[in-house]
Amino acid sequence: MAHQHHITPLSIYLTIAATLLFLSGVTVWVSYVDLGAMNIVIAMLIATTKATLVVLFFMHLLWDDKKLLTIFVMSLMFLGIFITITLLDTEFRGGVNPEVKDSINKRAAFYDSLPLTDTHGNPVDEHGSSHPEEDEDHH
Amino acid sequence: MSHDNSSPSFLQHHFHDVKQQYETAKLGMWAFILTEVLTFGGLFVAYVVYRSWYPEMFINANLLLDVNKGLLNTVVLITSSLTMALAIWAIQKKNKNLSLVMLILTFILAFMFLGIKYLEYSHKFEVGQLPGEYYSYMGPEIAHINNPHIFFSIYFMMTGLHGLHVAIGMGLIGWLIYATAKGNLHSEYYTPMEMIGIFWHLVDLIWIYLFPLFYLIG
Amino acid sequence: MIENQKNYLTYPKGIMSWLLTLDHKRIGLMYLFGGLAFFFLGGLLALGMRLELAAPGNDFMSNDTYNNVYTLHGAIMVFLFIIPAIPGALGNILLPLMLGAKDVAFPRLNLASFYLYTLGALFTIYTIIAGGVDTGWTFYTPYSTTSTSNVIPMTMGIFIIGFSSILTGLNFIATIHKMRIPGLTWYKLPLFVWALYGTSLVQITATPVIAITMVLLILERLLGIGIFDPALGGDPVLYQHFFWFYSHPAVYIMILPAFGIVSEIIPVHSRKKIWGYKFIAFSTLSIAFIGFLVWGHHMFTSGQSVFSQIVFSFITYFVGIPTGVKIFSWILTMYRGQVSFTPPMLYALSFLFLFTIGGLTGIFLGAVALDIHLHDTYFVVAHFHYVMQGGTIVAFLGGLHHWWPKSMGTMYNQTVANICCLGVFLGFNGTFFPQFLLGLRGMPRRYATYDPQYADLHNYSSFWSAILGLSIFIAIMNLLWSLRKNNKLDPGTNPWGAMTLEWTHTTSPPHPHNFEEEPVLEHGPYDYDKVIVEPTFKK
Repeated sequence: MAHQHHITPLSIYLTIAATLLFLSGVTVWVSYVDLGAMNIVIAMLIATTKATLVVLFFMHLLWDDKKLLTIFVMSLMFLGIFITITLLDTEFRGGVNPEVKDSINKRAAFYDSLPLTDTHGNPVDEHGSSHPEEDEDHH
Repeated sequence: MSHDNSSPSFLQHHFHDVKQQYETAKLGMWAFILTEVLTFGGLFVAYVVYRSWYPEMFINANLLLDVNKGLLNTVVLITSSLTMALAIWAIQKKNKNLSLVMLILTFILAFMFLGIKYLEYSHKFEVGQLPGEYYSYMGPEIAHINNPHIFFSIYFMMTGLHGLHVAIGMGLIGWLIYATAKGNLHSEYYTPMEMIGIFWHLVDLIWIYLFPLFYLIG
Repeated sequence: MIENQKNYLTYPKGIMSWLLTLDHKRIGLMYLFGGLAFFFLGGLLALGMRLELAAPGNDFMSNDTYNNVYTLHGAIMVFLFIIPAIPGALGNILLPLMLGAKDVAFPRLNLASFYLYTLGALFTIYTIIAGGVDTGWTFYTPYSTTSTSNVIPMTMGIFIIGFSSILTGLNFIATIHKMRIPGLTWYKLPLFVWALYGTSLVQITATPVIAITMVLLILERLLGIGIFDPALGGDPVLYQHFFWFYSHPAVYIMILPAFGIVSEIIPVHSRKKIWGYKFIAFSTLSIAFIGFLVWGHHMFTSGQSVFSQIVFSFITYFVGIPTGVKIFSWILTMYRGQVSFTPPMLYALSFLFLFTIGGLTGIFLGAVALDIHLHDTYFVVAHFHYVMQGGTIVAFLGGLHHWWPKSMGTMYNQTVANICCLGVFLGFNGTFFPQFLLGLRGMPRRYATYDPQYADLHNYSSFWSAILGLSIFIAIMNLLWSLRKNNKLDPGTNPWGAMTLEWTHTTSPPHPHNFEEEPVLEHGPYDYDKVIVEPTFKK
């Protein structure tokens, strides 16, 4: 009853894994270079390249029945529809009524009721000279 | 309707042959992947909308995330995808022990991912970088002034849902370890391993997008 | 007549064999009875509303009670009856039979789907007992995030039922792709299968979004995450985008199976080959796809951008076209056929009339300028009842009457059934046509009381709602009455002379494993021009 499945060669698995790790490093490095609006574009391009490698090779879709790749692509298409058409609303508010154009309440009122604290939750005097200490965990 | 003696034990009665059963399982699994894409997709919509409305909030709140932990998690997941794929490769090559080793490595890497996430989350809980109305971190001025609580709402929801999937994946891989050790999965029948492998790669896939979107902004 | 034929109703025996069954036909029956129970409950809530609305003023319900009643009516009807009923009941019973398969692709997943439905139903019952929920079945923020009613149990129930729906869709897709007998190519499939296929594609693609939406709503209530709260920088309209991205395709989940039923009934009861098979098949897929692009037409007064209003309105006009293609195909099928006025056919004819009105009024609502005035009025209520009840429920009743002899092995009293169908038709129009007029004259929906100028129309509507309710009740009782002892048909019965596999190759009721041996396909599903299949009706 055995039937032959295509067995992905070991070399492909190792090459793809190495490429994915390399691209992860690239994307971190590029994020430190200021390219303005292109940063997000490049980050998404790299992520999509990595994703494509995972889907085609690790998830085996390169060699599988093309119906399965169609299903996956369709899922992305519907996600794309959801995002794009929603943005047609959220990006174009205020076309007729300019007063709705501004982002809703950039500075939420409830903040004014909170006491100022430092990174460890200790209250600070708002008019004091304390500077919040640099958190060791963050850059 | 009678089953002939040469029918393998893993062939379910409503299928003609092993090939039909295998292909059906795969089709069902990919349809499930579609549903997962749409589920996470809803949260991606929220991300896109709020990032386009509050770009500075995202840029500044991002400073409060730890790139090193994020990158480490990325490496962990990619490696776990490799070990998962190798587990299947090994069982195809009739090497049960290697397959078990790979599955156990995958399990450990998944656990590491959750461990690193735990470190991140617990620090945020401690300093008050929490979603929505629980946000109380009043640290460096620049993060404070842009109300990053929506950022953290989206951050916790997306990484939380993703983490939940990692945990579920761990459970499934644990079951694979058991079934493989017991001999229920072998070179003639490893469909569940392949299907759970596809799920695991999806988990990796989602993180491939979450990492730059949260940790590498600006 | 062979008394002791094994069929799925009688074999295997015992309650555990039903509770743990993997037989798709038994699972389908359980969905049927669960669905009918909630249809009954939702119907009682509706009659309660109509009783309150028969006269102006708060007659026996306070405004708060009324809010709870219409919310529960909507949520129960939508999530516990209309969405699951046709795929869950008729789809489960018939799909493998129509394909020549022994079961669906994943029988255990099928049972899991049913238990998820049951669990969701329990959450709903809890919600009712705990005092209800008053937000409207749409749960719009910000009211749903602040209402003191039982929003979380109800939305948890919906979340769970969503998974039931997703798993059913997934199962059907795999079944239709992979479990057909040799020779049963896509263009030889019964159109009900195409309908289930389109429905299943929508189910797996759209339902995950309602799942995440309910989660977001629950988190907003529990943890104040702020994503829909303006005070925290969120946007309540975003909730509506999330909600309607699912709920608009959901209405196609509701109607596509109904279209499938009509596509089965009309050729059989006209003894004529279906006209435009490929038109009907592809229009199903078109509706499924276009349905994902139009959700904002539920949000014309929400404050979304004018640009998106235009886009949504424009695309909405296209979604009506494939449906129109179907209506013409069905009419052309009947033309020059030998139409017999059996109960299934009468329901199918009612469907054509009622759904056309419902569909056309949907097009009126697609015009932004009109919708600004008609949104949240009774015009919308009338529109969606014409499509959901005049459409889906009427087709569902027709399907029950068509496949009852096959799945139960008994025949109901056809005269009573025909009279009930007439009662449904008249009662339905009497109830809901006045509501178009009420809406045009400004009567808002979800109001327990109203100004006296609306009293006459509300009164007519309430009167006819009693006729409608009674007719549906008697129709179902008539079906159930046929199950009495000593009323069984000969297992080879094919009373309508249909020629799809479920009729020609299985007994009535079918054997537990469906087929004695795997069927060999001999002709297409509606080849009345090539093959003669005589109706048989013996006890």
